[in-house]
Amino acid sequence: MTDPLTLPEGQDSISLDRRSFLRTGLGGALLLGTISVTAGLSGCATSPAGRLGAVETRMDARYRFQFLTADDIKLFEALLPAILGSALPEQANARRMAIASTVERIDAGIHKFGPANQKELRQLFDLLNLGITRVTIARIWSPWPNVTTEQANGFLERWRSSSIGLLNNGYMALTKISNVAFYGYQENWHLSGYPGPPEWAVQALPQFRKA
Amino acid sequence: MSFNDRIAQGLESGWKVIDGARLTDNHTAEADVVIVGTGAGGGTTAEILAKSGLSVILVEEGRLYYQKDFKMDELTSYANLYQEGMSRTTKDGAIAILQGRCVGGSTTVNWTSSFRTPDATLNYWARQFGLEALSPAAMAPWFEGRETRHSMSPWEMAPNLNNDILRQGCEKLGFSWQVIPRNVKGCWNLGYCGVGCPTNAKQGALMTTIPGALDNNATLYHGLRAERLVMKQDKIDALQATAMASDGITPTNITVTLKAKHFVVAASAIGSPGLLLRSKLPDPYERVGKRSFIHPVNASVAQMPKLVDPFYGAPQSVYSDEFNFRNGVDGDAGYKLEVPPLHPAMSAGVVPGHGDEQAKNLAGLPWMQSVIALVRDGFHENSTGGTVSLRDDGSPMLDYPVSDYLWKGLRNAFYTMAEIQFAAGAKKVRLMHLDSDWYSSWADAKAAIDGFSMKPHRVRLFTAHQMGGCGMGSNPKESVVNGFGEHHQVNNLSVHDASIFPTSIGANPQLSVYALAARNSTRLAQRLKA
Repeated sequence: MTDPLTLPEGQDSISLDRRSFLRTGLGGALLLGTISVTAGLSGCATSPAGRLGAVETRMDARYRFQFLTADDIKLFEALLPAILGSALPEQANARRMAIASTVERIDAGIHKFGPANQKELRQLFDLLNLGITRVTIARIWSPWPNVTTEQANGFLERWRSSSIGLLNNGYMALTKISNVAFYGYQENWHLSGYPGPPEWAVQALPQFRKA
Repeated sequence: MSFNDRIAQGLESGWKVIDGARLTDNHTAEADVVIVGTGAGGGTTAEILAKSGLSVILVEEGRLYYQKDFKMDELTSYANLYQEGMSRTTKDGAIAILQGRCVGGSTTVNWTSSFRTPDATLNYWARQFGLEALSPAAMAPWFEGRETRHSMSPWEMAPNLNNDILRQGCEKLGFSWQVIPRNVKGCWNLGYCGVGCPTNAKQGALMTTIPGALDNNATLYHGLRAERLVMKQDKIDALQATAMASDGITPTNITVTLKAKHFVVAASAIGSPGLLLRSKLPDPYERVGKRSFIHPVNASVAQMPKLVDPFYGAPQSVYSDEFNFRNGVDGDAGYKLEVPPLHPAMSAGVVPGHGDEQAKNLAGLPWMQSVIALVRDGFHENSTGGTVSLRDDGSPMLDYPVSDYLWKGLRNAFYTMAEIQFAAGAKKVRLMHLDSDWYSSWADAKAAIDGFSMKPHRVRLFTAHQMGGCGMGSNPKESVVNGFGEHHQVNNLSVHDASIFPTSIGANPQLSVYALAARNSTRLAQRLKA
């Protein structure tokens, strides 16, 4: 998408019709619906990213994105270091792999959410990806790929502590989807001290035996 | 690897089980009774009707998963076995809804707690809704029958530490506590009830009534979404259904028409009102979808000095009703205290947070203990429940505004849970509220809870029990069905699930659903065979 959109002189940081925004649940969102349309017209990527090259996803070229767009992927690549913090590996390559595989599981999870919740997440992601709303509502001044972990964390803290329930809800949606996809994944179980299903049971149960 | 479980054997023996994803042409089928939903209500109904000699077709939107699929993995199970891949919420997103979506419905993923409907609830129904026929004495044989059918009995093994801490805290404070009856047979005490029982010990619909119905010649469609009931004159003529693709969520263009003499809707307290609304069935007093109840749940987590391993062992084995009916059935909001299992994804979804702090919180999972409070809604004029309505695409959604009456109960529950955890020796306690810190004493926690803003989104809320929306009662102006689950306006329609409860239950609802469905199906079989 084209960026950056600059704020008109003297405009309040949350100047979009605040009351209509407040009325908007993550469901039944007139304003957000409009944003999704606008996002499409303004050149935001609005279709699922499909198969990205190995270089772009930095992981598995075989994974086919079913819901996340190229812009959504950039959004999560910017947010995940702030959401997962010290749970992410420090070593650069391992870190990239962990982020990329988490983004893939987020996509796979959202596919199973079904159409109604997908529509709401589309509105949330479009709001965060479209320059004007990213600046005014998320108060993130540069496109996501240029956002530092500190800035991403600042955004998450603002939405978490906001007195506007809708922003709290956006915070919960972003962090919950990410935390579940990350901590629920077998390779990350050790980060919560979870040893996995008891080995004796795995040995004894037919569904774990190879055909 | 060969499987010897009940489902694999049944499929091998030629059960009539049809996967919607494998249908290639539109088709029509006919039976004496078509049942929508295969959970506690639908399964019970199917077995009783099929055993009475009636021909039965069962329709399930979710897919058939069984032992071969139950690998104790959260992410796979949440994606496949739960409504909306575990992302279902109320309309405003403020309450997470845990609800099954597979053959066996929520009984395939519940935590096996098996309580009779409390006497106080049944007596309240008699007084308020003209349901004297459902008195505790009249219902007792039905509860007993279902307790036998589903192998329900108080858990005999020692509770895991997660549950025992609730017991210890209650003991210290002089609060009553009890052992939870569970519907299990030969349970391995693993702790994975919520992701599909890996050992077939859980005696939910999947291991009992569904096989019972299929053994008696019933037909099961899974991966088939009930779209609408079609009326012809004053009766329902057919159910129109859409086959789903093998991912379980993408509709195909294959349509199935199911005709029957009688239709039973048992598609849950969100699904059943949704189907009735989509079908535009007679609803002269606009009762469908009203008075929906959820036992709103809030939670507290504690850091314990000893390893808790809250992911292992029977998930629920101890409860306290100290505060459930303390203020009378219709006084200030009462709540039941229980414990949830804590696996990594569940914990990551329930404990709010991000960054280093969240990493630290979750690293403490083996020492984490949690208590939940289930608030008894629907018994007070300031607790009238939520409303199920349809989205533009026809899917049902629940709008559930939390009243001040309920917020007060939820705040009281925060106090109680923190007090119990400290009494049991917690080092620190954190309430599931966006403003909560970790508190290291009961006094600190109490002071913090005093100042909590009790608002949607800031208080983390959950529901695993959806009830009401097609409420029963003797007065058609105030209810959708009568005390036998028979629709007030449409003669060949019954509703046999938790949607008929006129209030919440005040306990985990599966046995209430099984018992009422058994009673009402026995009556229905007599009626249809007359």
